[in-house]
Amino acid sequence: MKKVTLKSFLERQRPQFASLAEGWLAAGATSFVVWDGERSLAHWPHDRPPAPPDLKAPLQIETAVSGELRVSGLCGEEATARLAADARLISQLMQLEDELECMTAELIHSEDQLLALYNLSQATRSHLEIAPLAKAITQTIVQMLNVERACLIFKVADGAASVIGYPEMRSGSPGLCHFLEQLLASGAEFLENQKARSSELPDPAYNLLFLPIQTRGALVAGLGLINKVDGDFQTPDLKLARAVAGQTAVHMDNILLYQKSLKQARLQAEMDLAKNVQLQLLPQTPPLVEGLDLYAGSRPALQVGGDFYDFIVESGETFIFTLGDVSGKGLPAALLMAMTRTVLRSRAKSLPAPAPMHMLGEANEDLYDDFTDVGMFATVFVGRYDVGQRCLLYANAGHSPVIYCPAGERARLLVADGPAMGVLPVNLCEDQRVPFHPGDVVVVATDGFNEARNEAGDLFGYEQLLAQVEALSSQPARQIGEALFAAVVDFGRGHLQDDDQTLIVIKGATP
Amino acid sequence: MEIKSRSSNAVTILALAGRFDAYEAGPVDRHLQKTLAAGSSSIIVDLAGVDFVDSTALATLVKGMKRCRQHDGDLHLCCLQQPVRVIFELTRLDKVFKIFSDEEEALKAFASA
Repeated sequence: MKKVTLKSFLERQRPQFASLAEGWLAAGATSFVVWDGERSLAHWPHDRPPAPPDLKAPLQIETAVSGELRVSGLCGEEATARLAADARLISQLMQLEDELECMTAELIHSEDQLLALYNLSQATRSHLEIAPLAKAITQTIVQMLNVERACLIFKVADGAASVIGYPEMRSGSPGLCHFLEQLLASGAEFLENQKARSSELPDPAYNLLFLPIQTRGALVAGLGLINKVDGDFQTPDLKLARAVAGQTAVHMDNILLYQKSLKQARLQAEMDLAKNVQLQLLPQTPPLVEGLDLYAGSRPALQVGGDFYDFIVESGETFIFTLGDVSGKGLPAALLMAMTRTVLRSRAKSLPAPAPMHMLGEANEDLYDDFTDVGMFATVFVGRYDVGQRCLLYANAGHSPVIYCPAGERARLLVADGPAMGVLPVNLCEDQRVPFHPGDVVVVATDGFNEARNEAGDLFGYEQLLAQVEALSSQPARQIGEALFAAVVDFGRGHLQDDDQTLIVIKGATP
Repeated sequence: MEIKSRSSNAVTILALAGRFDAYEAGPVDRHLQKTLAAGSSSIIVDLAGVDFVDSTALATLVKGMKRCRQHDGDLHLCCLQQPVRVIFELTRLDKVFKIFSDEEEALKAFASA
């Protein structure tokens, strides 16, 4: 605390001292001296050196004596009392001036801090990530509070904590990081001045102030101030640090909200893109094929999966259809789906009389590396119907459900004989053949049907699917397809659709 | 879904429990990649506690299996529940993975390899 000195007080109040001196001279004193303990600071009259003093009275601020008033040429009780009173008055004035100076200094300091706080707010409001915010805050608070080091410790994904400090944290301060982690876990304010012997403060800390930072009722971070340079952390320091912590909380809240909405926007954009890819590629209407009654449809889930189907008609005599399901969801699945459907189509067109197993085998060769790189696979069913042949040739790479229901008979699954495309470098599937007469039905669907869940968490299941196909098999392909969709929609009421539901219905047309 | 990891000699055993679907595939994938990065390419995935797998889960296992085999190891499966076994049969992944009835058999298969 800055102390007013007698000398400086005298400089400022010289006229007042002069009129006091004149009063004494007029009363008969020969000299009036202001004495600082070693020498005369001022004397009246100026024109001659002061005589040795007859009366003295001390000047003091609180208990410290800073000097004396000295008068010569007068003595006695009255004069002694008068000088003592004058000295007391001057002392009190010096005391008040001292207090005023201290208050002014504090006010200036507060204003500086307010300005620094405002500047901090302006500088950090534009930060969109936690790390730059942390750097700005720790750097500013080191200066504002005059500490050796400031750290912001904050929670990151999967429960770990990250520490950013100013000056930068060296790898050699694990003790401090660990201590801060413990304080963060406690979630409480912590203050230790003048590290005691039994203290747990890690070296090189001897003073530490820790403030938790909460947003929306949850603890997200903590501010640690280490080693106050000019003494202990006092109440004003605590108040200021709390103010900074409060501001930090607001900024962190903004950043976290911004990042969350950015993530949501990205996800939405991805979902929209994937849905567009799928809509563009699925055939809108099935082709007209002599001897067949066809229906196809798809109900995409909210987050689009990788379902596709395709129809390829060769020279009006050969009808090839594919249906597949790429593992996974969203844009990656949609892109792999587009590739798979296109490669199969191109293989179908390039081979003169494409056998389903060759289409699958060559497509698998084309796509195996890509599937391996992205860690995905695609279950695929390829079917071929030649007009007049009354049979269905197919190859099934890991796909189900494929339901075959000959007219008047039980429905059964056509099971795969090899795994999905992209699992093994060589395709294991072989061509299979089933008779296909008027009234026979084949339903190729994706597992979005049998894996559909209801509110209770039960699955629709294969048995129900087979039973439904059997019950509907006498109806036209469109009615079968629409009824299957209706059945699974009805079953899944109250539970969000997890996966795409896609199917093709092929029925032998009555001639 | 719970994921528990332990070792037996040079073999890492991952025991999963719960519904293994698209939402749980990420952590399992990370576990498998971490195990491989640590140098262990002999892995057993114990599915005793798993009552459901979807295509993303299967793709995660296929990816792990391919990486293990790339490093001269393998990924064995054991203790499949009936509904899960059915899924492996329908997708013909039972022809791709070595599947055992219990952990002991799966471990023995590594020893004799």
